[in-house]
Amino acid sequence: MGRMGEKVKSCLVNSNEVHMLLADKSNIPEACSYLQDELASKLCSLISSDERQTSGAFVLRYVFEVHGKEDVFIAVTARTKESAENQLPSVPSIVKKFPLAVFYEREIRDMFGIIADGNPDARPLVLHEHWSAGVYPLRKDFDIKTKVSRDTGKEYPFIKVEGEGICEIPVGPVHAGIIEPGHFRFSVLGENIINLETRLFYTHKGVEKLAETMKLDQALLLSERISGDESVANSLAYCQALEKIAHTSVPKRALQIRCICAEMERIYNHLGTLAGISTDVGFSYGSARLNILKERMMQLNSVISGSRLLFGVNRIGGVGIDLDAEKLAMIINTTQIVQEDFEKIISMLRTKSSVVDRLRNTGIISKKVAYDLGLVGVVARAAGLDVDTRRDHPYAAYPTVSVDTHHDTPQNLMEYKVNLEKRKGDALGRFELRVEEVIDSIRMIDELISDLYDDNILTTDTLRLEPYGYALGYAESHRGQTIHWVMVGQDCDSLFRYKIRTASFVNWPGIEQAVLSDIVPDFPIVNKSLDLSYSGNDL
Amino acid sequence: MSETLTLVAIGIFQTIAIIAFAPLLMGIMRKVKARTQKRLGASVLQPYYDLLKLLKKDEVVSDQSSWIFRAAPWVMLVATATAALFVPIFLPFSPFGTAGDILVMLGLFGLARFFIMLAGLDVASAFGGLGTSREMMISALVEPALFLTIFVVSLTLGGTNLSSIVAASAGQFVSGVLIVPSMLFALIAFFVVMLAESGRIPFDNPATHLELTMVHEAMVLEYSGKSLAMIQWSQSIKQAILLALFVNLFIPAGMASSIVGIDTAATSVVSFIAKVLLLSMLVAFIETRTAKWRLFRLPDLLAMAIASSMIGVLFFYL
Repeated sequence: MGRMGEKVKSCLVNSNEVHMLLADKSNIPEACSYLQDELASKLCSLISSDERQTSGAFVLRYVFEVHGKEDVFIAVTARTKESAENQLPSVPSIVKKFPLAVFYEREIRDMFGIIADGNPDARPLVLHEHWSAGVYPLRKDFDIKTKVSRDTGKEYPFIKVEGEGICEIPVGPVHAGIIEPGHFRFSVLGENIINLETRLFYTHKGVEKLAETMKLDQALLLSERISGDESVANSLAYCQALEKIAHTSVPKRALQIRCICAEMERIYNHLGTLAGISTDVGFSYGSARLNILKERMMQLNSVISGSRLLFGVNRIGGVGIDLDAEKLAMIINTTQIVQEDFEKIISMLRTKSSVVDRLRNTGIISKKVAYDLGLVGVVARAAGLDVDTRRDHPYAAYPTVSVDTHHDTPQNLMEYKVNLEKRKGDALGRFELRVEEVIDSIRMIDELISDLYDDNILTTDTLRLEPYGYALGYAESHRGQTIHWVMVGQDCDSLFRYKIRTASFVNWPGIEQAVLSDIVPDFPIVNKSLDLSYSGNDL
Repeated sequence: MSETLTLVAIGIFQTIAIIAFAPLLMGIMRKVKARTQKRLGASVLQPYYDLLKLLKKDEVVSDQSSWIFRAAPWVMLVATATAALFVPIFLPFSPFGTAGDILVMLGLFGLARFFIMLAGLDVASAFGGLGTSREMMISALVEPALFLTIFVVSLTLGGTNLSSIVAASAGQFVSGVLIVPSMLFALIAFFVVMLAESGRIPFDNPATHLELTMVHEAMVLEYSGKSLAMIQWSQSIKQAILLALFVNLFIPAGMASSIVGIDTAATSVVSFIAKVLLLSMLVAFIETRTAKWRLFRLPDLLAMAIASSMIGVLFFYL
């Protein structure tokens, strides 16, 4: 660890995770900068946990993901506690170097009451005005049954843009149509958007606190319900974290079924998003056709898993559903029909100049912005970042299939790199990328099915967990990387801390940047093309 | 004396027919749209059910609004219904033609729009202001195109009195085919203007739920109950008038050139209904096949309409 040598108290390796415990919390910014600059890694989560009962302090873990060559996560770990009675614990802020940390630090301030010294944005993020000051719900001494009194009279200070002819348009939190709540505050000059501020967390469900009261297998059901359309990805991340703690080896067939279901989830969601984009540009013919395909896929989901949203697929140590020959034939058959129809519809959409014109150069996210905000998934790839958890940190059966054909040969890779540099990060790019991923997913499902192992679907080993054992679980949902950090409790059958960082939490700030070169009536297209989940954000 | 009475009766019947059947036309367009999108769609009578439902409902009126907000739907309904009096529908003749010509009709539309724009601003909601500013932008460009088109039509057919130009149109194109190039260019311009005026794709998406993209719907977002029913009804009347005007000016096939007998009148009625239905299906079909355009590209389309009617003027003088 080079020059960080004497500042790191201890180092701990757990599978593909390296935990560096810092001697003092004042070294956090330096350690984080070191990881980014020297090891080309990027911040992918900031986890706080209240370990005052066990080790006498709050523990913060700054999780970095090493990019490119190796499958490694590095966690910079530091401790902090109240220096005096009635004084909040604090850590130095890393916002200067990592703009994306602003949201993590605000979240931790709300939920744990840990102050990030130097974070310029002291406004609450998760907890809204009516929440009583000084109540920190994720601390262990906050009982889940507590009724928090309603505080009134506070107002959230939005960023004010002032000047000649600038108007504010408040939109939401209640929207037309059946979507979840979120507030958008536009500052506009005529139709041009000067600034956009989003306000979310209106339906904060307290998932992380709730998980701490649950048994491990109950929490599995909870993880599926973090965001209903990402049920496979989220439960997969959760299961993998526990399996990593217990060093369980999951049967190969189970891993393959996990991948098949994860890809089926990706297909139906991408189809839904593409249909949504088509609706939002006012081309309802395309969306009607694509929604038919989405419905086909959801009916297939229902046949193979008993749930249209693929609930109940993952189990700790394997999967809960088996695919017999009949179901496999059905998957192949349906995906083939879907692909044929899909290609026809897409080539029709591409020839509609009115559709393409609405998407081109709309909602541009530059590579720099995508990198600085640590964006993930389709959004990041469309901006030219080469990130995909399935390939960077292979899990389940992904090492055995080719996730994308770009990385197969050196020539393909070079071409892909050139292609990445050309990407603009506009709505059209994201549209095209989703189309490509649907086709890729269908191909992967074919590959997986043709090579399906005849094996158990659930491990026979008992889960050997150790008290307070912890690990990261991760998966690539259709929105991007989702990272779950699981720490089991003392009795090895409950959760001590369950930190969920979904792709939506990371990608939401992207929308504020994406709309800056756009006009107000194009906002819905930008929003839809980013495919953000309210539920996946309002944990 | 009895002849005058018959004519007045016919005129009133025409007006009532257009007012009564306008929502049906809307329903047919929606049905066509649904079927071409592989949906079943609601019944063609759905607009009537909607109106009945809205009429039964209470209204919620913002306490920020003034009398303008309450008056605007009435002004809109009365203005469009009055405009319907001047338009020859089944017959090349409207007995109230002497009271108002095509310019008065456009003025009435302008009045209705003016009040709805005021109402959009009146409620002090962000969307109302947004919709109003967009409507102003579009209407400022639609009007020159419309007036130039009317100019071409008046020059070609002589006069601005609707009865006489429709009769001239019916008389001039007995074969039912457009043979005057200036009218052909006016037709192109009028078609674009018709889409813009009735708030259809690519100008506005009448089916959207996205407040941020709305034009007309954003202005009337605060309306509910009876007021909303009046607005929706006048909207459909306006659309029906524009469609009727389009077929009677440019596709006069089947239209009687004078009131001579029951049988020619019957032919006129049947051919009118057929033409309007076909035209509305065409509009619905276009809606299925194109996306809504970017807001700031709409001026291009309207500029095309203006240019087209200008060419029409040139052709007339050539």
